[in-house]
Amino acid sequence: MKMTGGLEIHQRLDTKEKLFCRCRTTFSEKPLPLEIRRKLRAVAGETGEVDVAAQHEVSGGKEFIYKTYPTESCLICSDSEPPRPLNLEALDISLEITLLLNCEIPDEIQVMRKTVLDGSNTTGFQRTAVVGMNGWVEVSFGKVGIMLVALEEEACQILKKEKNRTVFGLNRLGIPMVEIATAPDIKTPEQAKEVAEKLGMILRSSRVQRGIGSIRQDVNVSVPGGERTEIKGFQNLKEMPRVIEGEVKRQLSLVKKGKKVERTVRKANPDGSTSFLRPLPGAARMYPETDVLPVKITKDIIDYKRKNLPELLEKKQEKLTKELGIDSNLVKALEKAGKMELFQQLPLKKTKPQFAATVLLSYPGEVKKRGGELGKVNAKQLTDVFEKLGKGEISKDMVIDSIVQTSLGKKPAPSKGKVDLEAEVHRLLKEKPGLSFGAYMGILMGKLRGQVSGEDISRALKKGMKG
Amino acid sequence: MYSREIESLLKKNKIRAGDRVVVKKGRQQYEGLLLPRSEAGDSGSLIIKLDSGYNIGIGFKGASLEKIKGGGKGLGKSKEKLLKMDFDKKRPAVSLVTSGGTIVSRVDYKTGGVYAVDDPREFLRTVPELKKVANLSRVVSPVTRMSEDSDWKDWVAIAKAVHKELKKGEGVIVTHGTDTLHYTAAALSFFLQEPGKPVVLLGAQRSSDRGSSDAGMNLLCAAHAALSDIAEVGTCMHSSISDDCCLFIRGTKVKKMNTMRRDAFRPINDLPLAKVFPNGRIEIVNKNHKKRSKKEAKLDVKFEPKVALVKVHPSADPGVLEYHRSKGIRGFVIEGTGLGHVPTKVEKSWIPGIKKLVKDGIPVVVTSQTVYGRVHPSVYANLRTLFQEAKAIPGKDMLSETAFVKLGWVLGHTKDLEEVRSWMEKNVAGEITERSLPETFLY
Repeated sequence: MKMTGGLEIHQRLDTKEKLFCRCRTTFSEKPLPLEIRRKLRAVAGETGEVDVAAQHEVSGGKEFIYKTYPTESCLICSDSEPPRPLNLEALDISLEITLLLNCEIPDEIQVMRKTVLDGSNTTGFQRTAVVGMNGWVEVSFGKVGIMLVALEEEACQILKKEKNRTVFGLNRLGIPMVEIATAPDIKTPEQAKEVAEKLGMILRSSRVQRGIGSIRQDVNVSVPGGERTEIKGFQNLKEMPRVIEGEVKRQLSLVKKGKKVERTVRKANPDGSTSFLRPLPGAARMYPETDVLPVKITKDIIDYKRKNLPELLEKKQEKLTKELGIDSNLVKALEKAGKMELFQQLPLKKTKPQFAATVLLSYPGEVKKRGGELGKVNAKQLTDVFEKLGKGEISKDMVIDSIVQTSLGKKPAPSKGKVDLEAEVHRLLKEKPGLSFGAYMGILMGKLRGQVSGEDISRALKKGMKG
Repeated sequence: MYSREIESLLKKNKIRAGDRVVVKKGRQQYEGLLLPRSEAGDSGSLIIKLDSGYNIGIGFKGASLEKIKGGGKGLGKSKEKLLKMDFDKKRPAVSLVTSGGTIVSRVDYKTGGVYAVDDPREFLRTVPELKKVANLSRVVSPVTRMSEDSDWKDWVAIAKAVHKELKKGEGVIVTHGTDTLHYTAAALSFFLQEPGKPVVLLGAQRSSDRGSSDAGMNLLCAAHAALSDIAEVGTCMHSSISDDCCLFIRGTKVKKMNTMRRDAFRPINDLPLAKVFPNGRIEIVNKNHKKRSKKEAKLDVKFEPKVALVKVHPSADPGVLEYHRSKGIRGFVIEGTGLGHVPTKVEKSWIPGIKKLVKDGIPVVVTSQTVYGRVHPSVYANLRTLFQEAKAIPGKDMLSETAFVKLGWVLGHTKDLEEVRSWMEKNVAGEITERSLPETFLY
């Protein structure tokens, strides 16, 4: 199969504030009652031409509704106020990523306006700046070029799409994001997946947001005689090779029939096929953002950043796997789930690391079922639980209950020794004589849950009833 | 501008902005269009537009620059004309008077520079709906200025152009920069008191290059307002930060109340004349307005520009009055505090200075910096000192800017202090209302 491919990765950065305003980037608030209703107009480029993609987006005079948020949107987000200077924390992270990708950094960074008229940007354009060029990344089949790293604004999230109106949330708009565009060095669908994984690992070595939607991979594909199409919206990397394969076949069959392949943006469908989204934008869509001053990047800054680059995750993971003697997949899974930092704060020398990893990865569901939340338990509290387990004060099967209690703000489970189980059984049998084993068990479990395991209660109760 | 070093090298090698160049620096090589240096940024960096559309700056130190053969067209001005609108001659005629400002600017998409359009009709193309509303083929541009640079001569020039255009169609639309739009609106209100047809002023708070610009809807609503029966001079811009409708506001009762919002223009101490929707619906809010008539508009542009607008504040030095007088000022509007106070009982009392001005025949009008509400001449003893003893003229519920324009217009007709007082206290163009309505506050 002959194909040429390149990747475009979009990754949200983990900054305190948005790229051009001082709103928070938490992206978790409930909307306020205030909604803003807008329309966008097609604007002609300098030659009087309206860009094909722009034309496609405005046809029909659609209405856009923007939801507002207490600390996650402001007048800048709704294009009612000019932007503030470029967020330096975001610039710092983007430069770090740029250097990890072996790119050159321009001496002066100029923010551009890229025309976008689908309503996902309130201004009608996306602010974006090149921070790196001409880099590379090493993979199993050689080096893949990095053409461009851009620092840009995240778009609004679509909350509801109807025929003539779209409802957007302003809280995602303006969160800092990097776009990485690789050279068309990818020759097979499997290679695309490998490069995406590698870039993801490098990004996660820096300070980036985690979770669903925080990273998006687009693939550019063409075949000889075909045209470049861009595939968006992959749900996960596993499906990537199959979707690319489908697109290559689609283009090849069009070429074979002598039909023209259109330059389009296509959506990856769950069944592995792709469908038309919109025409590919032309190059005429970019002009300078005159409201934001250019930023000069000195050699000193670059030298400093180069000396202080973070260790790559794959190296960190390798070390950890060796050091703790646990399964490397478990380490990867912890990293992917964003639990690595927490994991490393635990007393791994005293606890079995394998068990601690399992707790972090597979307990959240069970904890939630019992009314708790693992995310609310901090490293110190978890350490307490594991330390008690290490000392033999609680048993393994009491760990979940301890976590549940801690997350609910209740006192962590007292140690085994503090509950006189025998006395509890004795008192109950005396107070309420003549009940069944099950009834006694229920009362004791209700009273002692999280303090003593069910097994111990059952044992003590059997003993007490016999006696 | 680039640094002298770069400029001389460009000259020597005959490289112009817009040429396709290669910049080499160390092992790196960048190819693209050389752009002119904008005023922002480092004059020692070359600005290159890459093929991706992005601009980057490359420090000139240690770099070499080479022109690519056959890649030199130069930037120059784009010869291609933008699409012009062909208006339907059967639609009612509305004239467009432009005077500069953001609304008639266009972006050079290569350099990002903002220029006034060669032909004001260019900006109409982004509002194709206009064709179905009015025939806007008459466009005149008496002045071209950014709002902050405008002065009274511009008001006169615009008024003369509007007066002429009122004879040509059903109404007139005036585009203007927003910063001083309300001064111009007030001036036109006094210069053209009985226009007989609507005179609608508008501007844009967001630049016209962006899809979200408010220029389009403001223009469309202004066209509807210009065809309405409300024969007043007024502004027509966004009512809220949504693209819902515009407010048609009396020219003497409007003020820019926000530096950046689309709905910056608000009626002060008055209701808006009407809400104007982009689909043409007009909802009358204030029945107190003149109706369209066949009467020919009269133009009265006699004006005395030697008027000063002075703001008092705690510990303000009254010497500022004497300073202005030494510069030939013939009338003052003092923006007082609260009900119209000036410092009275302190060491630096303003009363002696004001008394002296009035004694010498120079009128002193007092408005309030609260923006909303009415100046009162007698609630407090200090107010009585100012208005009865020092004989300042209470500006009633006039906006400071409107009082300033009105005083210049009145002084253009008479310098007699008692006549000036009588004119200033009398409503001429809707600038003074006698009843304060509760719903006008923060409308």
